[in-house]
Amino acid sequence: MLKIHHIVKHFGRIAALKDINLEVARGEFFGLLGPNGAGKSTLMNIIVGYLKPDAGSVSVDDRMMVYESMEMRSNIGYVPQEIALYQELSAIDNLKIFGSIFELSGKKLQTKIDEVLELVQLSDRKKDTVKTFSGGMKRRLNLAASIMHNPPLILCDEPTVGVDPQSRNAIFDMLKHLNESGKTVVYTTHYMEEAERLCSRMAIIDNGTIITKGTLSQLLENLDQQKSVKLLKNISDEQLTQVKQIGNIIEHEFHFELIPDETHSKLSEIFSKIESININPEEIALTRASLEDVFLHMTGRSMRD
Amino acid sequence: MKTVLLLIRKDFLRFKADTAAIVLTFIVPIILILIFGNIFGGGGGSRGKINVIFVNESESKIAKTIEAKLDSSDNIRPVKYYIDDKPREKVYYNEERAKSAVEAGIFRAALVFPTDFISDTSSSLNIKFYYDPSNEIEISLIQGSVQKLVMSEVPALLPYLFRKQINKQIGKAEAGNFQSRLTGLIGKFFDVNPDSISLLSDSEDAVLNTSVNKADNPISNLIKFDSVQLVGKEVANPGVTRIVGGWAIMFLLFSLTGAAMSLFEEKTEGTLKRLLCMPVQRSQILWSKYIWSMSLGVVQLSVMFIFAWLVFDVDIFANFLNLAIVIISSAAAAVSFGMIITSFAKSLNQANGISTLLILVISALGGSWFPVSLLPDWMQVISKGTITYWSVEAFLQVLWRGANFSTIAPHVMVLLSTAFIANFYSLLRFRKGKVF
Repeated sequence: MLKIHHIVKHFGRIAALKDINLEVARGEFFGLLGPNGAGKSTLMNIIVGYLKPDAGSVSVDDRMMVYESMEMRSNIGYVPQEIALYQELSAIDNLKIFGSIFELSGKKLQTKIDEVLELVQLSDRKKDTVKTFSGGMKRRLNLAASIMHNPPLILCDEPTVGVDPQSRNAIFDMLKHLNESGKTVVYTTHYMEEAERLCSRMAIIDNGTIITKGTLSQLLENLDQQKSVKLLKNISDEQLTQVKQIGNIIEHEFHFELIPDETHSKLSEIFSKIESININPEEIALTRASLEDVFLHMTGRSMRD
Repeated sequence: MKTVLLLIRKDFLRFKADTAAIVLTFIVPIILILIFGNIFGGGGGSRGKINVIFVNESESKIAKTIEAKLDSSDNIRPVKYYIDDKPREKVYYNEERAKSAVEAGIFRAALVFPTDFISDTSSSLNIKFYYDPSNEIEISLIQGSVQKLVMSEVPALLPYLFRKQINKQIGKAEAGNFQSRLTGLIGKFFDVNPDSISLLSDSEDAVLNTSVNKADNPISNLIKFDSVQLVGKEVANPGVTRIVGGWAIMFLLFSLTGAAMSLFEEKTEGTLKRLLCMPVQRSQILWSKYIWSMSLGVVQLSVMFIFAWLVFDVDIFANFLNLAIVIISSAAAAVSFGMIITSFAKSLNQANGISTLLILVISALGGSWFPVSLLPDWMQVISKGTITYWSVEAFLQVLWRGANFSTIAPHVMVLLSTAFIANFYSLLRFRKGKVF
């Protein structure tokens, strides 16, 4: 469905994208993961025809996307990172404007508005101005405005930034529903958990380069080290220094994650080392490897570094 | 105290980063002070002289003396001739040509010393003043300056005019006897030589050489200052009719520049990008913004003029078609002004600062607030480079003078050409993606 060939993009002397190659099949829920500044949004902007690549090409359904060409834009529903809505207008007026651009009118437009409002659960607020909406409601309407024209390909550029968990789940459900109804979804995020939960296949991008791609299981299979140990944060600095001799430490909000290095392959050995540092065994938990580990493994640093 | 200082520093840093605030705080007032300073004196420059047609058809020496004083006046520049195209030669104004020039709006006033400026049969000076009061301040200044100049000669003229009056009443010979008897009596009473006493001379030279205290003499009715309003006599509300065009174009510039700059807001909100990711071309966005702003401007001006008609009785229907043409061309120029600022500014803040500065300056220079003729000559030259000037003049022509299309055609051409050129450049920049 979507083919990206050798895309290169520079901003001045900064290389934002370096020879990007990707293919997304029809009906896939594809994740593009990477830290802030990795090049995700730049790639999305090129796919949608907003930015012109320095080299390379994008095609949708084997038809080449030409920069600023109007022809192919009807095939794409772009959900921008910003809440790109007219805040002083009502939800229904926003949808009318964006729907009309795709030449929807009359009863067809009204039916489509009712349909998308139903999907994003805002039917009861359709006459209210957007500025009175909560952040989550705005995000949902932002999504609704992008799918008015029933596009086969939906590009979501971090659509859950700053959203409460409840609205986030609602957006996930909507996107899953759209995907199940046959839409191809490309979803960028820097939350690995989101990609793990939603995407059937994904690529990890860092510094403008695709560092790996595949299904979740394929990415985890490629990971040499699949063991990790969760340590509560109440350990002392001295204990932390000793733990670092066992492997890499990733600092999370409420815990440390220890990824044992290759010399510590046996679990029993890891446990005895930890015990020797006087860390309470109750504070140790085994976790399965995650995409975060993949990123760490590929780049040598955490996503949040 | 440390916290207060930190907070002050915070405010300073925010102010320093706000280009619009800096421009509004320092640059705008300085430029306006420069303009007003030049008009009302001081400020290192002198106010410009107002052009007034001057026709001296009198052979009188007094008329010649007043003419010389007019030539060196600080306020008035007497214009005595024009260059005719075919054949290319100087043509001196006479009374009729002067009147026609004022009626046509080429000059706002004409001062005429007729052949009977001082006649043997009259005991008063005859001065004719033809004027078009479309700019009240300007006419008041001209009248004030002319009258002051003529009146300054009144005390010296009085004895001469009295003598002419006496000559007329009792004959020249009897008047001479009366004066020599009177000077004889005065000489005897004050014990001075009667020949040294000069009372009522019938010589113009004596008048010009007199040392009478001119300022103290209140008698002025011996000057017949014949003011004739040539244009605008039928205007129902002269005061509002004069100013409505100037203020309308200034507010039009503010509102339409704001409308054009809403592109920046759309960029910040992300809606511009959303549109550009839909089947919408950059030029379509620009044109839609232009047409919307233009329509808004036409409606805004129409509302202003209808209000002026309803409340102040400004006659907008007498020359409605031409008024509509000026409204449309002014709106077109005002929107293009906003578009060109939007296309060159790098941010909303910068655009706000630049537009406020420019609108206030061109309003002052272009005649929205006061007649351009009050400005120094060099500022008057700059004035003609502003759309405000052409718009204000066009509105005056239409509302005050009831001008036909051929009269306002140059104004309309300038406004529309400005709009075309400015739009061409902004469209070019926008299409190339240099703006957003």
